[in-house]
Amino acid sequence: MMVAAYGVAANKSSSAPNKAYKKVGTLRAVLDTIDFLDPQQAYTGQSWWAMWNVYETLLTYKHVDGPAGYQLVPGLAQSMPKISSNGRVYKFTLRPGLKYSNGKKVQASDFKWAIKRGFLATGQGVGFYTDIAGAKAFAAHPTKGGNISGIVVNNKKRTITVKLTKPRGDFLTILALLFAAPVPSSTSTQILNGKIPGTGPYRFSSFDANRGFTMVRNKYFKPTKYIPRGNPDKVDVSFVSDANSATQRVINGQADYSNGAIPPDRIANAKGKGHLVLRDAANTYYFWMNTREAPFNKLKVRQAVNYAIDRSALNRIVWGGLGRATQNVLPPTYPSYTKLKLYSHNVSKAKQLINQAGAKGAKVTVWTRQVSDAIDAAQYYTSVLNNIGLDAKLNILPRATYYSTIGNVATHAQTGWARWLEDYPHPLDWFDVLLNGNRITNTDNNNYAWYSSAKTNKEIEGLKKAQVLTPAVNKRWATVEKQIMQQAPWAPWSNRVFPEFFSKKMGCIHIQRLYGVDLMRLCRK
Amino acid sequence: MAEPATDLTFDSAALLASEEHEVTIVGRSPWYLAWRRLRRNYLALASLGLFFVIVIACALAPVYAHHVAHTGPNDVHVGEKVRVDGKLKDVIGGGSFYDVNTGKFVVKAPTYLGPTWWHAHGRFVLGTDNLGRDVAVRVLYGGRNSLMIGIGSALICTFVALTLALLAGYYRGGCDWLISRFFDIIWAFPVLLLAIAISSALAINGFHHFGINIEPGSLWLPTLVISYVLIPYIGRPIRGQILSLREKEFIEAAIGQGAGPLRVMFSDLLPNIVSTVLVFFTLIIAANILTEAGLSYLGAGVRLPDPSWGNLIASGQDQIETAPWLSLIPGIAIVLTVLSLNIFGDGLRDALDPRAKVRIER
Repeated sequence: MMVAAYGVAANKSSSAPNKAYKKVGTLRAVLDTIDFLDPQQAYTGQSWWAMWNVYETLLTYKHVDGPAGYQLVPGLAQSMPKISSNGRVYKFTLRPGLKYSNGKKVQASDFKWAIKRGFLATGQGVGFYTDIAGAKAFAAHPTKGGNISGIVVNNKKRTITVKLTKPRGDFLTILALLFAAPVPSSTSTQILNGKIPGTGPYRFSSFDANRGFTMVRNKYFKPTKYIPRGNPDKVDVSFVSDANSATQRVINGQADYSNGAIPPDRIANAKGKGHLVLRDAANTYYFWMNTREAPFNKLKVRQAVNYAIDRSALNRIVWGGLGRATQNVLPPTYPSYTKLKLYSHNVSKAKQLINQAGAKGAKVTVWTRQVSDAIDAAQYYTSVLNNIGLDAKLNILPRATYYSTIGNVATHAQTGWARWLEDYPHPLDWFDVLLNGNRITNTDNNNYAWYSSAKTNKEIEGLKKAQVLTPAVNKRWATVEKQIMQQAPWAPWSNRVFPEFFSKKMGCIHIQRLYGVDLMRLCRK
Repeated sequence: MAEPATDLTFDSAALLASEEHEVTIVGRSPWYLAWRRLRRNYLALASLGLFFVIVIACALAPVYAHHVAHTGPNDVHVGEKVRVDGKLKDVIGGGSFYDVNTGKFVVKAPTYLGPTWWHAHGRFVLGTDNLGRDVAVRVLYGGRNSLMIGIGSALICTFVALTLALLAGYYRGGCDWLISRFFDIIWAFPVLLLAIAISSALAINGFHHFGINIEPGSLWLPTLVISYVLIPYIGRPIRGQILSLREKEFIEAAIGQGAGPLRVMFSDLLPNIVSTVLVFFTLIIAANILTEAGLSYLGAGVRLPDPSWGNLIASGQDQIETAPWLSLIPGIAIVLTVLSLNIFGDGLRDALDPRAKVRIER
């Protein structure tokens, strides 16, 4: 899961592409924060927003607006891979003449090193690659000289063959994650923010963890059908954590773009002072209920909670209404999405269910993290739980330790706030990671509801084998979703839209559905 | 050395004066003299009065919430309407929304019900916050929590600091060294940083040691944390005074007459520093209220949704442009409380011992 305030789907662009754009020169952007600028480590939307233009993967996504932005296209690969009939072997050939930004030639073995480097450096994305044959054994004893037998490379022929232990329908999207971006085999396993050469249209020219970073053109980059040369000559990124200050910078003309979440009361005022674009990102905000812990081990209590929440009101108080009320696990940007209407707002019914479950007065601790929108939502939730007859109190944890604490079986966390922003556009990124009972672990567990249903688990495992999301497969996913929500391990409440703020001088504002604002296609009016 | 011009003592001078004017000189206790000085200090008395008004108002928060505002401090009223001067108004209005007809969001700022000033039958007198909660009720409950922590931690802190100072000052030597180093260690950390560090460490599981069980979210946690981090700020100056008193003849005489350590500490040393302790106690309450406000502002003090003046200021920050009262009102409450305590504390110091240099130095 990407852990920062940044989703990765898109709405239609706010302004049509303009062929007669003026040159951008230096684009001055403001980000609230990033985690890393190292492809094997970075795992926030903000980092990926920048790094997508520096590091290329075997497969990538088109620089287009709307749903087409979810389409996988060849990146470093010459073409889409050949996949064996059993769905376990993937064969790629690299494009000829590829060079890194330091001028060195890209080798097929660099891909293997990138995957190995992830395991050696305990990168944040290694969990995605454990189905590669030999990866688990390598992960158990990672050494530089060790081998991942499932990755076979031939530098002369520029071929990469990846063998899986079992078929995975989402494996192509996993290969398109930046964790799998090839890096020179001489790259050390230490975290090297902004120092690792890439193959994309830009390269990092400076990085300061407290101030920001700069990207300039990569002179060795050659545009392809899917990866164009970017419009800005240079991108200057500053870190400004305070959303008010970030917004003010754009209004004052000190920045061209800010990704900072504009405070709800300022949005209406700010929109007249720049371009406000609402980015429709694939995310779901929800309250999880631990199905192993009383009183949420009772279905009626979980259903009561779903009935008690006024989702529209919650969207209004948390981000001024910039979110869609939802009862679904999947966001509406997915083809598998079928709108669920299982729980209409009904407090009386909720109270009745609590009484029927014999849970009146049950003590509940609501968990949330130290971020203003999460605190507001959890305060509302605590008030709702108290209103329907439970005895709820709130426990706020620091941002950094929140997920690891609630994901630890020893915490016995009963219920709380969570959100999910897609890593890649596939239902497996939601159902398999968040609600497959077979994947529950005692620590760092992502299934905060500890939900496990034999029927659902089996269906998810079966759907993993589907290579293509056909209408029939999508229908099966919709059935899985309904089955899950009938058991109500979650109370989903919002698909948030993110305000992106540009100065009045900016034009050609494009949103790539997965990576957000497409900086390569920005231009000045 | 020159001989004194006269061998008149104060007693004999008083006798002469009384004979001359036929006036009886009445012996006054130091406490009476202090009170006489204090009651002439109108500013200090007014400050004390203001502090009592604030304390009483906050103590009566449940009465106000139940009988006047008809809501609890954490009750959310989003989606409700309230009649103000006969007109129905949204508790929270405006806000952006998704227009299904156009398929686009209509961007609007949310509006919060401002102070109704008794035009809504006691409801939302000071307006609402972003969750539709009654600000007046939350400010009073917040004050209750802030004052309970401020006064509670001042009592604990003063008691512990005084005990340690008496032990260090009486026994001196190794005991003094040990206690002084303990003070030094705490003193070495900035107060707020140390308090945040301890509070964060206790945030997940609370405190369950030495037979003491405090759950996370309990008001005892910030109370004890604040007590602990401020111990040297009272303990060190009092220790200095006790060390000085320990060298006086009357202490030597008491020990010579066979008085035990406890008797010397509590009958001879303590009465001589009680005025200083009293002044420190008054001033440390103000310091503790500020520390609590700082901790709660940073999310390490009173846990939301329970209010305190500090977390109310923090919660209102995002609405500072559209609903400035959310941060302003608890801010004013803190200023008035701390100011009244500091002015009274200064007045008390002047009354008890005008030459004393009693300050909480941080």
